[in-house]
Amino acid sequence: MEKKAENRREFIRKSGRLTLGLAIGGLGVLAASRATAGEWVWQIDPFKCNQCGRCATECVLNPSAVKCIHAFDLCGYCDLCGGYLKPDANERSTAAENQLCPTSAIERKFIEEPYFEYVINEELCIGCAKCVKGCTSFGNGSLHLQIMHHICVNCNECSIARVCPSDAIKRVKASEAYQVKGSWSKPL
Amino acid sequence: MKNKGIVIFLILLTIVVVVIIVGDFTSTRPDKQGENPYEFSVDEYTKVDPDLIQYKETKNFRLVFENPEGIAYYKQKLYVLGDQRLQVISNSGNLLKEIELNDFPTSIAVDSTYIIIGFNNYISTYSINGELIKKWDSLGENSVITSLAVWNNELFIADAGLRKVLRYTMDGQKISDFEGKHEEAALHGFIVPSGYFDLAFNTYGDLWVVNPGNHSLENYSLDGSMREFWQASSVQIDGFSGCCNPAQFTFLPDGSFVTSEKGLVRIKIYKPSGEFKCVVAAPEKFTDEGYAPEVVSDENGNIYAVDFNKKMIRLFEPV
Repeated sequence: MEKKAENRREFIRKSGRLTLGLAIGGLGVLAASRATAGEWVWQIDPFKCNQCGRCATECVLNPSAVKCIHAFDLCGYCDLCGGYLKPDANERSTAAENQLCPTSAIERKFIEEPYFEYVINEELCIGCAKCVKGCTSFGNGSLHLQIMHHICVNCNECSIARVCPSDAIKRVKASEAYQVKGSWSKPL
Repeated sequence: MKNKGIVIFLILLTIVVVVIIVGDFTSTRPDKQGENPYEFSVDEYTKVDPDLIQYKETKNFRLVFENPEGIAYYKQKLYVLGDQRLQVISNSGNLLKEIELNDFPTSIAVDSTYIIIGFNNYISTYSINGELIKKWDSLGENSVITSLAVWNNELFIADAGLRKVLRYTMDGQKISDFEGKHEEAALHGFIVPSGYFDLAFNTYGDLWVVNPGNHSLENYSLDGSMREFWQASSVQIDGFSGCCNPAQFTFLPDGSFVTSEKGLVRIKIYKPSGEFKCVVAAPEKFTDEGYAPEVVSDENGNIYAVDFNKKMIRLFEPV
């Protein structure tokens, strides 16, 4: 009986130590992950992106935290925008059947003959990259994708990065959270 | 019942194998992507009726440049730019001469007396043997020289930065410039959304300039008055699509246009009237979404194309 009591006491002591250890360890891991999350965020390298469409389908959020953004200083303000119009568009107009974007998230605004400005409506954009592909193929590549940090929940493992075929998504410093073409250039 | 354990083991093994196969089949790992529901595809426009292709590739020369930049043809010789070098190559592909340059070139023109090389915003002239004659002053900080053409001892420069054609004497004195406005009241002339802005003279001395934002080729008098133009805007084989096409062009000896496009990369021929004639090289010949090849032609109507993606000169001869 004495041995059993000793074993019970020993078991309780060990359990206590283990619980304390796990609690401290857990707090440490939590603190470390929060510190990491605060300093590093996920972002897309626009020069690596191959417009596969997975940003729209693989993000844990719906619609995705990935949105198209527009580098206006690179844009040609073309009437015949390859990112806005379908390749076989009937005419260069805002008619839905002529638009490439599946959600009509790009607004085409007349500036002066023959120039037009293209503005992304972030609420409508689903990050599918269809316009990015059109702009990259036939235009200057001024339309490109970025992870928007006021929407992104900064998962420990980004579900898009996990399946990105061009390895374009990586962690970057939160102080340099965006890699916008024009102001941010492709590293040599 | 002796084999009961083995049977259970085999059933479990089968289930595991099936689960692995199904799991792999439905996996979304990076190298195993399913259909992209948002795919932007121009595949149907890459298919070309074989009857329209009236040239075949007969030869190609691999270039040693990291970044090929431009090409000119003059009397059985190819003048090829890349990195910080000019190479003179015979039309059979033998290197005849190499000249080191002090900067990264963008464009070239050659006549009986001069080799003229454009850099980002200035020009240098060389003798036909490759000795530097003169380095011109900068044309301006906003200049982006994209194409050169010589006629009657005058140099015509396509400047994508200024969106103008500049006319100079061969010793660097500016004569005039024009911006392609068809009338004084027009707001804009040349629409140049990117660094693709080409010009060339045909054998009759007519100056033609691409207006890439209009998908048009425009003929100007030497003082900059528009004389005529033709336009072909379509993603189909007989037209130009995207923002900056045709990105490059040259002339055949009979005055036909040889055009080269980016995006949907293809080389085609249009009659002197602007009517589509035939295809030199279909998109399947080139890297998807590659750069527009720069094209020159020889006295026999053969076409040399610089394939910037494959880093080679490709020769296409009429079938």
